[in-house]
Amino acid sequence: MTEPRSPGMSSIQTAPVHADSTPPAVEMDPVEYTLRKRLPRKLPKRRNDVYVNMKTDFRAQLARCQKLLEGGGHREICVHGLGLAINRAINIALQLQASSQGALQLAANTSTVELVDDLEPEDPDEAGEPMTRTRNNSAIHIKVFYPDPQGP
Amino acid sequence: MRNQPASVQYPSSLLNAESSPKNGGDTPVTGVHEGPSDVHPFTARPKNPHQRGGWVRGHQKDGGGYAKEMSKYITAGPFARARAAEVSTMLKAVTKTTGSCHVFGALPKHMRRRAMSHNTKRLPRRLRDAANRMAGSKKKKEQAKSKSRKARRRHGNLLLEFNRRQRKNVWLETHIWHAKRFHMVKKWGYCLGDRPTYKCYRPSYRAMSSHCLLQDLSYYCCIELQGEEDKLLASLSQLCSKEAGPTFAAAVCLSGRRQGSVVVYRAGLYPSQPLGPVTFLWRPRTQGSAHRQLWIWAHPNMKQDLLPELQAVCQCCEAVVPPVLPVVTPAEVVPTVEPEPKPEKTAEAKQVTGTKRKRTFKDAGGPPAKKILGDGTRSPTTSVTWKSSSNGIVINDLTMEIVRYRLIGPQSHSVLAETMEPATDCDVRIMPSSLWWPEHCKNQSKMNLHREQADVFHILKGLYSTGELPSGTVLGLTVDDPRLTLPTKKVKALPCVKQVDEEKTRELMLRGVPEHCCQSYLWEQSVRDNVTENKISEQELNRMRSEVLVPGSRLSPTPLQGRVPVLLVHQPGKQLGHEMSSWGAGWDLLLPKGWGMAFWVPLVYRGVHIGGLNMSLKHSQNKGAPHFPHDYPDCPAGVRFQEEQETQLLDKFKRRPPAKRTNYIKHGCLAPFCCPWQQLAEEWELISRQGGEERKGDQTQTTAEADALMTSHGDIPVTKPPSRVTVLRNRKSLRVLSGWCRPTTSKGQRRCRVGEVPPLDRLALTSFLTAHGMSLVWVRLSILSKGKPELHAMVCAPTAEDLKLLKKESFSGPQEPTHKDHFKSRIRRRKKAPKKAATSSLCRDKAEGKESELPSSPSHLVVGLWPDPLPSVTAHCSRVTLGWVTQGDFSLSAGCGEALGFVSVAGLLNTLLNQPMEHRGMLLLRDPTSLHYRFAKINIEV
Repeated sequence: MTEPRSPGMSSIQTAPVHADSTPPAVEMDPVEYTLRKRLPRKLPKRRNDVYVNMKTDFRAQLARCQKLLEGGGHREICVHGLGLAINRAINIALQLQASSQGALQLAANTSTVELVDDLEPEDPDEAGEPMTRTRNNSAIHIKVFYPDPQGP
Repeated sequence: MRNQPASVQYPSSLLNAESSPKNGGDTPVTGVHEGPSDVHPFTARPKNPHQRGGWVRGHQKDGGGYAKEMSKYITAGPFARARAAEVSTMLKAVTKTTGSCHVFGALPKHMRRRAMSHNTKRLPRRLRDAANRMAGSKKKKEQAKSKSRKARRRHGNLLLEFNRRQRKNVWLETHIWHAKRFHMVKKWGYCLGDRPTYKCYRPSYRAMSSHCLLQDLSYYCCIELQGEEDKLLASLSQLCSKEAGPTFAAAVCLSGRRQGSVVVYRAGLYPSQPLGPVTFLWRPRTQGSAHRQLWIWAHPNMKQDLLPELQAVCQCCEAVVPPVLPVVTPAEVVPTVEPEPKPEKTAEAKQVTGTKRKRTFKDAGGPPAKKILGDGTRSPTTSVTWKSSSNGIVINDLTMEIVRYRLIGPQSHSVLAETMEPATDCDVRIMPSSLWWPEHCKNQSKMNLHREQADVFHILKGLYSTGELPSGTVLGLTVDDPRLTLPTKKVKALPCVKQVDEEKTRELMLRGVPEHCCQSYLWEQSVRDNVTENKISEQELNRMRSEVLVPGSRLSPTPLQGRVPVLLVHQPGKQLGHEMSSWGAGWDLLLPKGWGMAFWVPLVYRGVHIGGLNMSLKHSQNKGAPHFPHDYPDCPAGVRFQEEQETQLLDKFKRRPPAKRTNYIKHGCLAPFCCPWQQLAEEWELISRQGGEERKGDQTQTTAEADALMTSHGDIPVTKPPSRVTVLRNRKSLRVLSGWCRPTTSKGQRRCRVGEVPPLDRLALTSFLTAHGMSLVWVRLSILSKGKPELHAMVCAPTAEDLKLLKKESFSGPQEPTHKDHFKSRIRRRKKAPKKAATSSLCRDKAEGKESELPSSPSHLVVGLWPDPLPSVTAHCSRVTLGWVTQGDFSLSAGCGEALGFVSVAGLLNTLLNQPMEHRGMLLLRDPTSLHYRFAKINIEV
């Protein structure tokens, strides 16, 4: 299929191609793919789920958790962090515990999240199959809760 | 008292008793009055002499004077004559109208009502006649008597009226729904909803980012190309270039699994003369056939440019007369499918002949008017199909043949999954029918395909967000009539993430929809027409519903007509840049014509928000993508739009009193309504060339190489800077430029792969500018502090001092000194001139001579605007202008003011080169109505 198509294409494109490919500064590396990361898979969110990110201010996220625990009337909240945000999620959980004078307890779980990347070829006519790549990233889910009073 | 007859003479003595029967009969008022005085003429007199005034009123200065002259008897004849004369003059006076005397003047104030003079029915009945008489003389012209409301609202007449009203601007199928809720605008030959009449800016944004926003995009034009794959590709490859991204030949799109998008240029003229962006969709291959079908979707504003271009590259000049369509509807179904609406249009003009023709045309007495489906403005003789004799390509204009709805938002797939159900298959034993679905049910392979498609559709329900799918995925489907499952109340569609099948979901996310599932019968015109013709009317459906035993339950055997082939096309969300990736992703729903409302209402019942043109602008703004035709200043459609916008804004500006207008001259804003891109690019081209020549003197060594480069380019004629301004769309160059714009020492830098982009220096700049000197580049600017950029805000380059001050926390941005308005005094002088003209014509001649030196003749001066030949746009203000903003607003997604616009490549690179590393990419933004510059960060997203 590709053979008869190419002469038609190239004959038209010779002139403009020449204009841009000659400047040496515009050369790219030979592996011509553009990487596009897709968003991590989301799951339905309850009201007491907090997904931690690196963009929002730390204090704002901490305040949000505190609000949920104190004003929101939730007995427990879940703090989720993925990748780089794991550190921050742990920080938030520990801060919550410290500020509650030991009333809160933590239960941490780790998991692995599969992420999808799209690889878009620079020359889309050549690649037959759209390239996708999966990679794994670590995630943490920390349950911050008031222990049951009748438990112990 | 004015009309009191002066000639009435009273005889010397009067006898009341004789006159009373006559007087009483004529005018009861006086009769009653006289009554008591008749009985006791003499006894009453001494007691109350003034009572006699009832019939002698106005005659005597003193009432007592009568007593002496009063005789004991009166003669009947003269008395009666006198009374008669009095009465007749009174009657005459009453009938005569004078001046502004209104009838309701006779009424006491508390009985007068508003608009009595306009509407006589507001008067008491006894005055109505007089009022009518008065009004009759005044009424200018009789209003043409319109039919009664009942007659007008009768279905056939209503349709005739609707068809008449959409002769100039076509209505979409959802027009009436929209017209009740939206501010409608007439644009591009359509009547389109601009924005809802209720306040919903933020809810609509929220719907886009967390649930679903619905838009009717049926006004987009679909052009179908059919032919051999190689020939199609060879023709179409002239229209676009690989450098600007995937073309029509991109392998993924060519297989029919993905929708592609491309910017189309005039044949072989890339990179100059673009036409505009189109999306395209290939029909999946059928086994053993090289014959392909391609749909190109274009904005109606660019269709007039695109269609001739397509005809030229495909050598399709041979117009096919409409009835002889290459794919004809199955003849026995409904023989009068296509030509049906066409006689209707003539019928509107001459109804009598139209109905006659109809009667001969159609034996059964159908409704007198038929709703126009599809394009109503197209004259029946205009051809919609063009054929090429040399390469066999057929171009088919499918405008308004396919309904296109866009659902934006992460939950759009759940809305779709809830609204539509895969078609239930029907009994195969049914006799051959004219409907398409029973015929399909007999074919086992077709049913297998349908089952597979239905499976994929079920997996779709298991997704949480629309953005999880590969962008541009296509899914063909056949669904049941969604009106059958219409909920009784509006519900909000929510995702149900059941554990459908983890493996299958994963497969769908990674690979997308398998190729054979992208096939849909929507591609076939015969099926489309069949479905459109056999749609159950709303009335019929309601009747069937009313006959259901349990009210509100579903019609148990689904009516055979209720199977519709649809195409679902995934729309990628934000793909450029790193932030907010895949925001605003969604699905497009393609339907056969006629089914618009049948799908629209069920979709609305799933709790979606509806957006108009305004929201699609905001959608692309939040995506950071240029919106057609606003942000394509190098396309003919974009140029047309800019001119339109300029006249609109100028008219709005001129409507204000001159003293209340913004004085743009004082604000140092040269072009508040229309951006002179060409002038900007030319000026920057000149500046950069001069800069290069200056530097040649002092640093010969470095420029020698650049010189060599330039001369090497000089040999090739194509590299000469094109005379017309273009927008840079070369992906490689954009990527390089994007790398140069980023500061090298910043948090954001971590992401970009270092080493890919060559360092920005004089040499690289020169070589880059040789190729793209006259180009503009699409940029996104986010404001660092507060401030909301507006339309046509100026993008300027900060000076070195500004950047130094930027480190200070309190510094919000430099100020522009107020400019002086020289034109104002001239306008004032011009106003005074005519006064002087009478006295000294010589003086005026002198003044005119002076004014002729000015850039424009004084007659075109508008207070507060620069007259036409603008001075240098780059160096007009204290900061150098690089470009202008075409879309600017407070961005709800970023939480700060964001602007999208174009800057000159030459200007941008020269600015970047002079900026210190840590402040690279920092620009200034200034609104046309403000003197305050704000710092903004530039982003070029590829």
